[in-house]
Amino acid sequence: MRRFSALFLGIALLTCSLRLVSRAQTPATQQNTGKENKNDAEEGEKRFRENCGRCHMPPESLSPREVKAVVRHMRVRAMLTAEDERLILKYLAP
Amino acid sequence: MSHCEGQQNQPIAPSAERDEWMNRASVALFAILWTASGLRAQSDPPNVPILSGAFAFIGSTTAGATTYQPILAPVLVVPIGDKWLIESRADIQGFFAREGGTTGPYNGQFLASLDYLQVDYILNAHLTITAGRFLTPFNFYNERISALWIANLEDSPIIFPIGTRTSASSNGGMLRGVAISRPAWSLNYTAYFSATSTTENLQSGRAAGGRAGIFIPRLGLEVGGSYQRFLQNGDSNQSGAYVVWEPRQIPLDVRGEYAHSPGGKGYWLEGAYRLASSRTVSGPVSRLQVVARVQQFFKGNPAPEDLLPSADVNQFDFGLNYYLPHDVRLNGSYGRAYSSAGNFNVWNFAVTYRFVFPAWPGEKQ
Repeated sequence: MRRFSALFLGIALLTCSLRLVSRAQTPATQQNTGKENKNDAEEGEKRFRENCGRCHMPPESLSPREVKAVVRHMRVRAMLTAEDERLILKYLAP
Repeated sequence: MSHCEGQQNQPIAPSAERDEWMNRASVALFAILWTASGLRAQSDPPNVPILSGAFAFIGSTTAGATTYQPILAPVLVVPIGDKWLIESRADIQGFFAREGGTTGPYNGQFLASLDYLQVDYILNAHLTITAGRFLTPFNFYNERISALWIANLEDSPIIFPIGTRTSASSNGGMLRGVAISRPAWSLNYTAYFSATSTTENLQSGRAAGGRAGIFIPRLGLEVGGSYQRFLQNGDSNQSGAYVVWEPRQIPLDVRGEYAHSPGGKGYWLEGAYRLASSRTVSGPVSRLQVVARVQQFFKGNPAPEDLLPSADVNQFDFGLNYYLPHDVRLNGSYGRAYSSAGNFNVWNFAVTYRFVFPAWPGEKQ
């Protein structure tokens, strides 16, 4: 039984470490991701103006905690595409 | 003696107890680490419910009869996971008017209604399934710009009741989404069915219909059409078309709708221009918006429940909106209606405060 616990703990630690490592980024990857994020945010701003501005003025401020619900709400209501949703999220909560 | 008591009374060997403790600790540690390892690289914003909406106070004088309406329209949005959304909007309003229309003391009453309470399931990039009570998607005014904090003029268009009977909301199911999405254009659609409901505050008509629109981002142009088959009080067809144009270069919004029904047909066309060189607020003057709307209605064979005028009407409206800081808007408008039943003036004044905040406690970011 004790052996089983030790084995389970070992597997758990290994799995979590692998998960962390797989999510961790090398400096080169981070640089690329940074550039991609910037491009996404610029495209997101464009789509925000094209789509949201069709109906209303944007609210003066939105906190990152509110953004996901607001954009999901708008995806359904204003027929945003999945790509619009992703990019607008990048723009509003980079 | 119960089964549990029997278990509790059994002697437990020290080593077995230790193993049990080790097992529990391992599972707990695994759960904590798993969660933490997931959170570490989490970049998506959190799924936090929000409470949004607006509070407005509207004063209106139509053909000499003055009314006052304080209105609270809260919107609750609850995202669940990546696929689900629950959204709801209620309308709680007071209505104060003179007893004799233009004379006598003011009397008032409070009314409440549920505009929508729907569950959305985003099946894939092209299809969202909606069930519950939703705003009837006929043309675009009702669904997209009828909200207090969005509409440029307080009065809804004369043709608004066409395609939105009986309460502008439907109880049933709806499919919607973007059927085709290209960089240069996209095609959106809705198809729905609604059942009859006479329950107080939840009224709806039995109807089926749909809408399709094409959006061209480069031009800021969307055009579309709607159809509805109203399946009660003798079946009837309603059809409509709409246009929304927002040129990129100037802060001008042009919107219009046409609708046709056995009760009558008509159109409205509205232009709204912000006194700015671009769409961003750059000074006090850029917060001012000038709005003008023309509309015509041609009577058909309206039934009382159609909520349409009993005579032809031509009307123009002119308004000024001022967008103050902190999402407060002042709105004033004047309109003149010309009708064979009599000409009259329409004056409106409104203050609207729009709010949005998280509906769940959490860390400030």
